[in-house]
Amino acid sequence: MGRTEYLIAQKEMGRKVAAVWPARYPAELLWAHGICPAEVWDPPLEPERASGHLQPYVCGIVQRGLELLLSGGLRPADILLFPHTCDSLQNLATMVRDLGGEARRCLFFYPPKRDAGERAIAYLMAQLRDLSGELTLHVGPMNAGALEDAMELGSQRTEAMRRLYDLRAEGRLSAGNAAFYAAVRACEFLWPEDAVHSLHTFAKEQEGTPSDEAVPLVFSGVLPQPADFMEKLDGLGVRVVEDDFLGCGRRIVRRTIPAGEDPWRVLAERMQALPPCCTQGASVGDRTNFILELVRRSRARGVVILDVKFCEPELFDAPLIVAGLRESGVPVLILETEMEPRTPAGMLTRMEAFLETLS
Amino acid sequence: MSLRDKVRYRMMKDVGLPAAMGIDRLRKARRVRPRDPLFGPPLESSGALKNLMMRHYGLARYAEGAMPVAWVTSGAPVELLRAFGFYTVYPENHGAVCGARRVAPDICAEAEAAGFSQDLCSYARIDIGHALSGKTPVGKLPRPDLLFCTNNICQTILYWFKDLSHMYGIPLIVLDTPFLYGEPAAATMDYVSGQIRDMVTALERITGKPFDEARLAEVLESSRRGSELWGKVLATMRHRPAPMTIFDAFVHLAPVVSLRGLPVCERYYEGLLAELEDRVERNVAAVPGERHRLMWDNIAIWFALKPMSRFFAENGCVGVAGTYTNAWAETAHHLDLKDPWGSMARAYGLIFLNRDLEYRLDLMARIAAEYAADGLVLHSARSCKPYSVGQYDIRRKLSERLGIRTVVIEADMTDFRAYSEEQAKTRLAAFFESLEGGRDGAAAAAGGGGSGA
Repeated sequence: MGRTEYLIAQKEMGRKVAAVWPARYPAELLWAHGICPAEVWDPPLEPERASGHLQPYVCGIVQRGLELLLSGGLRPADILLFPHTCDSLQNLATMVRDLGGEARRCLFFYPPKRDAGERAIAYLMAQLRDLSGELTLHVGPMNAGALEDAMELGSQRTEAMRRLYDLRAEGRLSAGNAAFYAAVRACEFLWPEDAVHSLHTFAKEQEGTPSDEAVPLVFSGVLPQPADFMEKLDGLGVRVVEDDFLGCGRRIVRRTIPAGEDPWRVLAERMQALPPCCTQGASVGDRTNFILELVRRSRARGVVILDVKFCEPELFDAPLIVAGLRESGVPVLILETEMEPRTPAGMLTRMEAFLETLS
Repeated sequence: MSLRDKVRYRMMKDVGLPAAMGIDRLRKARRVRPRDPLFGPPLESSGALKNLMMRHYGLARYAEGAMPVAWVTSGAPVELLRAFGFYTVYPENHGAVCGARRVAPDICAEAEAAGFSQDLCSYARIDIGHALSGKTPVGKLPRPDLLFCTNNICQTILYWFKDLSHMYGIPLIVLDTPFLYGEPAAATMDYVSGQIRDMVTALERITGKPFDEARLAEVLESSRRGSELWGKVLATMRHRPAPMTIFDAFVHLAPVVSLRGLPVCERYYEGLLAELEDRVERNVAAVPGERHRLMWDNIAIWFALKPMSRFFAENGCVGVAGTYTNAWAETAHHLDLKDPWGSMARAYGLIFLNRDLEYRLDLMARIAAEYAADGLVLHSARSCKPYSVGQYDIRRKLSERLGIRTVVIEADMTDFRAYSEEQAKTRLAAFFESLEGGRDGAAAAAGGGGSGA
């Protein structure tokens, strides 16, 4: 079943659908309100209508997200949720609500931009309650215990995702890169129980030994893009063994957060426990150390940073992360994508040249 | 801090710099510049401004080691740093200076050679390029002991300053001011004011000095007065004919950005205001024969101030208002000695760049009405996303709401590699022509994205 058909089926089951822009948001809260989030990262559309609203120097994620909205591709969505991620997405959110004539409820969520300790947790908790209040206005209040149940589903999904990542890092997953990311990225729209089931099934089916000859690499950046890039990597004999993609590995809590009595607090703590991210002002040192840890645990032979053109949060960090990794003896390649429909030949050539230096 | 550096700083402040600047003044006084017939008499305060900023950058060279030095963003609550005796340097102002002196691409190239993308904010590339190479047209910037940033103007500032923190190996204090969609929630303002209170402890630790509440009160009062004076300076442009132009305002903005909270800032604007009020009384026009009054949106195109200003004047157009220049007068009234933490949270958390586009649209409509603007020039600054993303829709909406003509020009604030003068002039020329036709057809002029005047 395709994404749109799946979302329509969710609605037929009585759930609402929220279109959610990147990157970090409390999915558990939406589930608790009976809302299925469908994330808008990289719809395969050329920005035509969007170009009348956005300058050409705005990144492909913002351009394509707006194109999807303007072309009617988000018709199944009842609500639009814009987490605060960067300047461009911030302005897109207010453009859609204030200038675009959008009739649906547009909601916002602000993950604190620095680790201000208890103040950040308290502010996150206040926002979670506010967001819940807004959702209540639209879909009604949560049932008793719904948040706790959703938190449990969230834990299960995280656990299933962690296991899949662990299997891959430990060389116990035979799946290719394209298949792996298709499974992981399906969670961008699957209801959590379906996501857990799908991840478990995939892990069970794919558990096995990968090819010895494949070159193990860690990827960082925004997304596995262009769309066919992972297939190309399969063809080149590259095995992605870990990732720090904003849309994938950087949204998996890598450690266990102890349960607490206050679900709002636990939810806030879970969000603050996500891996260090440039969009939340994480230091370059913390990000470099996180990537180094991924390299160590997966025994990768190098790192590829795959940035999206015009993505400021990533592009500011990249040169310093590269320097830090090289100082630690880790070979690094930086690639930049404009989210083209097919991987440009030049990008593949650079990838091949990098692989040659590793051999 | 060393005694030798402190003595050297004092000597330069009291003797060396005044002497050097006096000699420079004498040298320049001999040069007689012919008056440009397109403009009214030049502002006499410009000389004082030049001296003030020369002194600021001149003293900065000797601040290192004599007192703690902080690099600060333009929208940060600098009052706290002043209360702790920091010498403050504003990389954004330095970026503007580099832009105006047309050295930005050369300094940006240093950052680009180190892997920083040419698509990043050019102010940031200048600053990083300077950090890597020491290149600057102001002689030397002091190495910072502390970085202090607030993301109320953009998120870019946060990415940029954490890079500097990494490169210099020094602490970074961040004031996180959540972007406001609609009216601010109490929890948001509590979060901001709480962080400002927390900064006191951090600054006490970094400087080893105890917090002086009375000193903060003095600085806050000075900051409020300086910003209010700046607001009055801008308001003189409501007069027809305008006594100065928006291009003058861009230049005279420097003290309220860089010296806010210091008595020199207040004194400077008192002088400028007196001069402008005198011009208003005598109907002295910045552009004789003023026909059209325009509003400017976004940061100045620093490298093109003069040619742009001339081109406006040649067509009888005067820039009389701007969203950018207004930002430093917009929220200072919130500063309140009785509630320093909450009032700083409001003064810095509520600025227009930290608010939704509906708020911006209303603000622009109000400014256009107050200054009787009959046209709007939107500078789409390639490397400034928060200011530029949404401009195409703002343009359409304002045109519909006010019936005024609008034009978008694509450029950058400092990096002239991203600018085509011919293209900008062609668009402006068509726009100026359309102004001659009056307000009819403004809606048609607003049609389409960035194209068509």
